[in-house]
Amino acid sequence: MLPLSLLKTAQGHPMLVELKNGETYNGHLVNCDTWMNIHLREVICTSKDGDRFWRMPECYIRGNTIKYLRVPDEVIDKVQEESKSRTDRKPPGVGRGRGRGGSQDGPGGRPAKGIGRGFDEGGARGQGGSRGGRGGLGGSRGAGRGRG
Amino acid sequence: MSAGPGLESLVDQTISVITNDGRNIVGILKGFDQATNIILDESHERVYSTKEGVQQLVLGLYIIRGDNISVVGELDEELDSSLDLSKLRAHPLKPVIH
Repeated sequence: MLPLSLLKTAQGHPMLVELKNGETYNGHLVNCDTWMNIHLREVICTSKDGDRFWRMPECYIRGNTIKYLRVPDEVIDKVQEESKSRTDRKPPGVGRGRGRGGSQDGPGGRPAKGIGRGFDEGGARGQGGSRGGRGGLGGSRGAGRGRG
Repeated sequence: MSAGPGLESLVDQTISVITNDGRNIVGILKGFDQATNIILDESHERVYSTKEGVQQLVLGLYIIRGDNISVVGELDEELDSSLDLSKLRAHPLKPVIH
């Protein structure tokens, strides 16, 4: 189980966040992202020494300032349910997608695509550099000189 | 620990973590990622002091950010249960200095 999926599952739950500077934030998790940035509501902030408090309706905490998060015990059971249902859904979709792509692109489609790409690249490089019509190699050299 | 580097082999085992601020947290490893963020279930902190035995504070379910982790080790539960923590005296760890 990934720590960030546990955090995602904890949305809507109360939690305690301690920052690297020792401040703690108690509140309900509204949202989080893959950097562990978190958005809390109904927050109580406590100073490092624990003798000063601030209440705030919401706050946003940058992930890299976090030391740890304490989440309610029951959240870990909910993660497992979600990940199970996800794996149940996936396989049929993947199979269908691959099948269709292969049949349409068939023998005719691929070579055409390949030629088109090569031509475009040559043209673009030629314009950027000094040498026009030559192959890919010459074009790329030209572009390099142009920058320098 | 069984074969291979990384924490995979420690999942669902009791581990002991030393954090950059010098804390020792013991719990069951439930998950981790590339940044060494870890999930610890049923965790508790062991507070060492020279004046009294080791105090155990119940913490519960924790996500510890990798930035704050110094050491992760498996806990030998047999050895651990034979320790009498109430008689153990030790200096608290100093925080890691960068």
